[in-house]
This record gives sequence, structure tokens and C-alpha cells, in this order.
Amino acid sequence: MNEEDVKYEEALAQLESIVRKMENDELDIDQMSVQLKRAQELIKLCKDKLTKTDEEIKKILAEK
Amino acid sequence: MNTPHYTLLQLNGLLREAIDTALPDEYWVEAELSECRENGGHCYMELIEKDEHSNTPVARASAKCWRQTWTMVKPYFERVTGQPLRTGMKVLLQVYAQYHEAYGFSWIVSDIDPTYTIGDMARKRQEIIQQLKEEGVFDLQRELRLPTFCKRIAVISAQNAAGYGDFCRQLEDNEYGFRFEVTLFPAVMQGEQVESSVISVLNSIYERIDDFDAVCILRGGGATADLSGFDTLALAENVAQFPLPAITGIGHDRDESILDMIAHTKVKTPTAAAAFLIDHMFRTWKRIIDAEAYISQHVNERIRFQQQRISQLATLIPTLALRVLSDSNHRIELLQNRLPIAIERRLTNQKHRLERLSILLQSFDPQLLLARGYSITLHNGRAVRNPNDLHPGDEIETRLEKGTIKSVVKR
Repeated sequence: MNEEDVKYEEALAQLESIVRKMENDELDIDQMSVQLKRAQELIKLCKDKLTKTDEEIKKILAEK
Repeated sequence: MNTPHYTLLQLNGLLREAIDTALPDEYWVEAELSECRENGGHCYMELIEKDEHSNTPVARASAKCWRQTWTMVKPYFERVTGQPLRTGMKVLLQVYAQYHEAYGFSWIVSDIDPTYTIGDMARKRQEIIQQLKEEGVFDLQRELRLPTFCKRIAVISAQNAAGYGDFCRQLEDNEYGFRFEVTLFPAVMQGEQVESSVISVLNSIYERIDDFDAVCILRGGGATADLSGFDTLALAENVAQFPLPAITGIGHDRDESILDMIAHTKVKTPTAAAAFLIDHMFRTWKRIIDAEAYISQHVNERIRFQQQRISQLATLIPTLALRVLSDSNHRIELLQNRLPIAIERRLTNQKHRLERLSILLQSFDPQLLLARGYSITLHNGRAVRNPNDLHPGDEIETRLEKGTIKSVVKR
């Protein structure tokens, strides 16, 4: 799946799932670094989307 | 014995004396006029009394009103009753007897009491009204509805009547510019022929009834106008049952006629009839104007309301949008913060576990046992736990704290 195609809400849900699993000790140590890497990617994805949306919103509001 | 012969003059003279003697006074007599005509300023009448049930005459006499009396009595009678003396009328006359040898017997009228005639007319009217009510037609006209757009008017009026002219002018010159279509149906509007004439005209209108919205029965005229023609049963029945609303404007200012009573709408004059039609049209027009104003006002209010809502929402959107963004940011940051804590905790736990294990392991170190004076016997590198595992001549190794001893098993 292309990262751009991941919906914000789906990305957020994945991220929350990883954090919850980490907090509940549900992850193998072997998987930790892989999952952490995935979490960082999701964080970046979400932040990028937010930044982009923020810029678009400000642009639209300024057009009024 | 020869009976004496009279001349006619002599005998009539006797009769005159007898009458003069027997009837010296003036008397008030009730009678119906079976004939009435004026000639040379005098009025000649035929009086009649009919049997109440069979309607056949039971008494008859001539009566005269000489010019001297007639010139005073006539205008008074017409002013009070609203109509002239005419055939069929019930009258109360003050009379005295007169017999003339050459002209015969006649009652000479010295006065007429018009109130008696009025009473009689009123009673007749009352009877007609009663009959119309019994026939169930008295209120029929008022159950009709004047069309909303009442503009095609059939007019019953005398051809060149001033009242008709007034009516047309009034309609034409209305201040709103409404257009009416007036069609005149000429009729006799005075005297005895009113009934038959108006009824025949009503029939003509009925033949093309779809061309009209209402009928106006019009008649100008002063206070002394003879309206008795409008008080007949047949005319009232015809108008009452006519399918178009009838508006009467038969100029008069005394009691309303029976036609007025049964009409859909009655007004006093032809001009007033026109004003009524204009007013009716104006009310229709007003309803349209009002509806138009109401719709436009209502629509404007709705639009203004929606505009307000939109602008309220518009002012909310930037704040809301930015808040959603900052909430989202915050949420991610929280998640991001939780990650290292979770990982840190997890790794620390594992480290502690490893440490505990290593301590546990240390406690199993054999060096600790050797130091306390125990020794371990090995054969071929394995710890010897049972002497039976060894045979004489086997070489064994004994591990002590500070070194190793090699020995051979003897036994």
C-alpha cells in the first residue's frame, strides 16, 4: 500500500494500536524495533497530513 | 182603476229623494278598484267586492272623484303609497251617495285613506313572502356565490334609462382600471308589464348563461316611482331560482321590494350596483396583491435567515478547523510521547529480568562449593555421583578449591 493512500484515521488507528500493544507488553522484543520504526513512519505520515491540511485550510480561509 | 203613470224623470226623482233621505251622510267604504281612469281632471272608478273564497263579485258600483277633490287627493295618495291608484288595488274611500235622474247612481268620493291601501299592499307582500318561503326559494339567491372574477354582467334595464347610463359610466370610470363586459337586456321597468317583461328577459339570459357571471336588475327613478311591478310572486320566483347571482339596484328610498329581499345583493341605485361590482373586484385584486406581498416577504425572511446561519457558520469554521488541527496534533504528540516511555519501560523490565537471572546463575557456581571445602570427583570430565559407576583402575580427577588431584581407583 502506498503511504499516500493511507487515510489519516487509519494511520492514527494503527499508531494507537502499536502504542497500546507496547504499553501492555504485548509485543515481542524482536518486533519492538520494527514496530517502533513503523510507529515513527505513521507519526510522520499523520503530521505531514495535518501540516498539509492546515496550510490548505489557511489558504482557503484567506481566499474569502 | 187606472194606476197613474210616472214619467221616468218623475220616478227617478222619487228615487233620488229616497236616496237623499235614506243616505244623507258620508260613509267610509272598503272596496277593490276594478277600473280606474282619469278624464278631464276627474277620476272615474269602478268599485267591486268579491266573495272571499269564490272570488266572484258580490257587489259593484261606480264612483267618481271630481277634479276639485282629485287634485288634492291624488298627490297625497301617491306620496304616501308610492304608486298611483290602479286596478286591483284595495282602497278605503269616503263617499256620499248621488243619484242623478239622467246619469244614474254613483258614489262621489270626497276622500281616500292611503294607509288602508298601504296595509293591504303590505299584507299582500307578506303573503307573497310567506309563499316564497314555503316554496323554499326565498333564500336561494343568497346561497349563490358571486364569482371571484365577476366581470361579465347581464343588465336588465329600460333601454335608455338614465340609471343604466349611470351604471355603465360608473363601471367604466373605476379608479383601478378594471374592465367589465356589460350586456344590456332591455325590459319594461315600470307598470303592469314589469313582471312578464323581466321574466322573458331572464329566459333570454338563461339561454346563454355561460356568458355571464351575474345579473343586475337596474332602474333609476325618484321617490314616487311605482315599484309595485317588482312585488309580484311570479317575478320573485323567477329571480329567486335564477342560477346566476342577481344584484338589484331599483332606485327607491322607501321599503325594499320583494325582489330586493330575495336578490343575492340589493343596493339602492344603479350607481351603487356598479360600485358594488367594482368593490367586489377590488377585494379579489387585493387578495392577489396581499398574497404577492406575503410571498415575497416570506421568501425574503427565509433567505435572510439562511444567510445569517451561513455567516454564523462561516465565523465558526476557522476556529473549529484550527481546533480540529491542533487537537489532532496534540493527539499525535501524546501518542509520540507514550512510545519512548513504553519502550524504555519494556527494555528496563527485560534488563532487570536478565540481572535477576544472572544473580541466580551465580549462586549455582561450583567454585563456591569448593571454597567451602567440598570437592568434585570427575571421571572422563563428568561428575561422579555413584561409586558403582567406577571400576578399579579408572583414573579420576578430584577438583578442590585450589587445584586438582589425579588418582587411580583401587577397589
